[in-house]
Amino acid sequence: MVSRAKLLEVQDLQKNYGKKSNLTKALNGVSFDILPGEFLGIMGPSGSGKTTLLNCIATIIKPTSGRVLLNGENISAFNSKDLAEYRGSRIGYLFQDFELLDNLTGQENILLPLSIHGMDFASARNKLDQLASFLEITDILNKFPAQMSGGQKQRVAAARCLISEPDIVLADEPTGALDTRSAKTLMNKLEGINKSSERTILMVSHDPNAASFCSRILFIQDGVIFHELRRKHDETQEQFYERILQLLAQLGGGSANVL
Amino acid sequence: MFSKLIYRNAKRSRKENLIYFATLVTAIASFYIILSLGRQDVILFLKEFESDAIDKLLALMPIVYLFALFLLFFLILFANRYQLNRRSKEFGLYLMLGMRKERLVVQLLAEGFLTSVLALIGGILIGGFLAEIISLTVSKLVGQGIIGHQVSLSLGAIIYTIIGFLAIQFIALVILGGRLFNQEVHQLLYEQMDQKQDMGHVKGNVLHIIVGSVLLGVAYWIALYHLIDFEGMLVFVALALGSLGTIFFMRGFGKLLGLLASRSERKSTKGLHTFTVRQFQENIANRSTSVAVTSILITLSIILIADGASTLLSSGSDLYNRSSSVYDFTVNGNHSGVEEFLTSETMVVYVEDLNLLEMGRMREQDGLTGDGMARSLVDWSNLREQLIMALPSDDREQFLSGETQGYTISSENPEALNLLGILEIDATEPYLIPESSYNGLLKAIGEKPLNLLSDEIALYFNPDFVQFDDLERLPVLDDMLEKAAKDGHRLMYINDQAVSIRPSIPMRGLVADRSVEIFTAFIVPDRMFEQLLNTETYRSYWNFRIPQTLQDQHGLMKPLIEARDALKASGFEFESYLQNFGRKLFYVVAGSYTILYMGFLFLMIACTVLALQFLTQMKQTGQRYLTLSMLGAKRNQMKRSMHRQVLWTFLLPLSLACVSAVVGIRAMIAFVMIHIEHQALLYPIAFIFASFIIVIVAVYGIAVARSADHEIDRLRWKPNVD
Repeated sequence: MVSRAKLLEVQDLQKNYGKKSNLTKALNGVSFDILPGEFLGIMGPSGSGKTTLLNCIATIIKPTSGRVLLNGENISAFNSKDLAEYRGSRIGYLFQDFELLDNLTGQENILLPLSIHGMDFASARNKLDQLASFLEITDILNKFPAQMSGGQKQRVAAARCLISEPDIVLADEPTGALDTRSAKTLMNKLEGINKSSERTILMVSHDPNAASFCSRILFIQDGVIFHELRRKHDETQEQFYERILQLLAQLGGGSANVL
Repeated sequence: MFSKLIYRNAKRSRKENLIYFATLVTAIASFYIILSLGRQDVILFLKEFESDAIDKLLALMPIVYLFALFLLFFLILFANRYQLNRRSKEFGLYLMLGMRKERLVVQLLAEGFLTSVLALIGGILIGGFLAEIISLTVSKLVGQGIIGHQVSLSLGAIIYTIIGFLAIQFIALVILGGRLFNQEVHQLLYEQMDQKQDMGHVKGNVLHIIVGSVLLGVAYWIALYHLIDFEGMLVFVALALGSLGTIFFMRGFGKLLGLLASRSERKSTKGLHTFTVRQFQENIANRSTSVAVTSILITLSIILIADGASTLLSSGSDLYNRSSSVYDFTVNGNHSGVEEFLTSETMVVYVEDLNLLEMGRMREQDGLTGDGMARSLVDWSNLREQLIMALPSDDREQFLSGETQGYTISSENPEALNLLGILEIDATEPYLIPESSYNGLLKAIGEKPLNLLSDEIALYFNPDFVQFDDLERLPVLDDMLEKAAKDGHRLMYINDQAVSIRPSIPMRGLVADRSVEIFTAFIVPDRMFEQLLNTETYRSYWNFRIPQTLQDQHGLMKPLIEARDALKASGFEFESYLQNFGRKLFYVVAGSYTILYMGFLFLMIACTVLALQFLTQMKQTGQRYLTLSMLGAKRNQMKRSMHRQVLWTFLLPLSLACVSAVVGIRAMIAFVMIHIEHQALLYPIAFIFASFIIVIVAVYGIAVARSADHEIDRLRWKPNVD
């Protein structure tokens, strides 16, 4: 494979909370790269710093030191106006609890990023239809979130984050609020999007099942990356899942019991 | 520990609901003002002449106060319900920590009490200050500075304000606390008050709009054309239909807004358009009833303010309109003592144009008619005939066929009909005024004396009681008289002697106020007066004016009061222009004070409800703005959307209210409940009061927008570190 330009570079990221006497180092020098088209997972127990890492990349919080480069641009140094441009158009978010606006219909929710950024609706029409049929939400486009199931809500949210064709999708425990079946459907869809349109995805999760859909997984603990797993070319998702479980067992009995 | 918690919670809720707190303070201030009305200078002044009427007005104030309290009670209930709902998680937590429910309710009451006490302190201070200013300004403006100023502080008003306000606050909190009491901890902790999106069916909503519009239409129709049918009962029907119509209309409208959001594809991707419409829709649809109620309140407030303003306007111009009344004092009786006293040294400085008014009824012919009736000396059949001829044909037929049963003298009738009516009533045994008496009056106003011929009379119509447009120019009568004079045709005979009638003489009120209540009289030469007078009915009055020089130096009121006091001491029976003035002033005060007061109270309550409703929604849905910012919306973009929401939230009920209010005002003008005398002043005054309303609504709107701006600025994505 030809070596591709790095899409995202995380360089020696540090994030401290609290004052000197009570300092918590949530991130203690994290560095990694993401290549275009990758499906990267970040796993770690509660308090490991994985959400802080995602939030730094998502520009929701500012790192104490270090840089985050998206296509070579240092987004951790952006001002708020540039950040607004960057959010929703160049990166898409998938939240654990969907964050759909419950007074907007599914379609209105999906189109929201476009209207915020003043993009053309006519050209998005096709895109909307494609996404809706791929994510199997065509029938519920005119429903309100309250009338949808959890899985449907998350797929609508996925359509919303994909509609503006972002460079990268950041997903924070996207299956956290879903039952296993819905979770599996969602992960299948995400994997499909990653494969078919080479959309880059960065997903934080502590669910080994969800993580097994990734092509690479970084393990983080106490603010540092301490392990990495790569899915082999011929490895099935089930096999990869076994491998993740093995690793977690070696590390100390799975995600819930690392202490 | 608890006192600290109570103090902090109360402080927080004041800060979070500044608009609500400010409204409470204003309401308390207004309560104090209405309750301390009896201490206002104008009222104290009026009590001297119109004590009965003033007592009645003051007796009305507690009712106004109770009604205002009742309205405020609902506002408090409404505001506190939202506040408590928002804090339900906190209450759940207290209970989880082992606080007893009784304790929690007591704590809530204590918090409410603390807020109330602060509001009371602020309100009474502001109210006292305002009452003082109103008292001073009104006495300066209306009383021309003669009404002495007294400090208007009223202890009774303070006590009643405190009791009333604390009572409604207490009742509201007990009701809400009771509801809290019956909820389970889990409900408190986890149940959000978010309503499901209920947008109904399009058909149902269209039906709502149609039903609402029809009801409103019927209400408007009744208001415009049938308001006073069935002894005014239809007023209530119109009000009920109008209110119901407004509620239906709002319900349908709110939900149909969704169509607007989904219809235009081009617009839907323009900024936060869709979001804005949906937010607005949610605000209206989920609370359509209270939006409708605010709309109804605004309607009532506009109508009340218009009514109060028109009272102010027409009476205000009436107040100083002395075109018809000439004299400042009238002393009854003709015994020599009166004249002596009025020309004595103490009084002479106050007396100008002293004039004796003599009058009495004409005697009847000796002997009775065939049917036992007294016979009149007056034969005016020629004049009567001419007047009948001059009637418009409809009236003439009615008159001749004997259908006309009684006479209403009004400026809307044709002149001939009015004249006919007045003369039919009065001409058989007319009042007589000797020419010399009337000449004295004419001299006072700088007119030439009449100089009647020995067989000449003049017809006098009293401008205080006969409401013609212009009494001095009666074209029909004048034409008739001039023609008769030219042809040598005699229109009237008195005591079998032909008399001619002098056309167009100046007409003025005969006395200072109301001691002479006659519609019409014949002004006759003095000799004729002596001949024809029925001596039993003879009456006389001494009239005089305050000298112009004195007025120029001290204004009218000061010498008026001094002269009044001097006359009072003399023991003579008298009346003064002050009574006339006082009565008019009373109508201004009674009419405009209460009505304007209620009007502004309604407006304030409506605005507060809208403001609270918007801010509550804003707080409940704060997360949405966070999501928007995650999707890349800029703060300015969100603020713009929110400003638009505020604008629409206020405009929707306001615009429907404006339509209804215009109909209401038109109806009141049509049925002469609002009477506007000076058309020229109408537009400036209407403009000023309309601006008042707009300013009040705008102040609320801006306050809401600013505090919502503040909410958006405070938005922070709170990462949950795990």
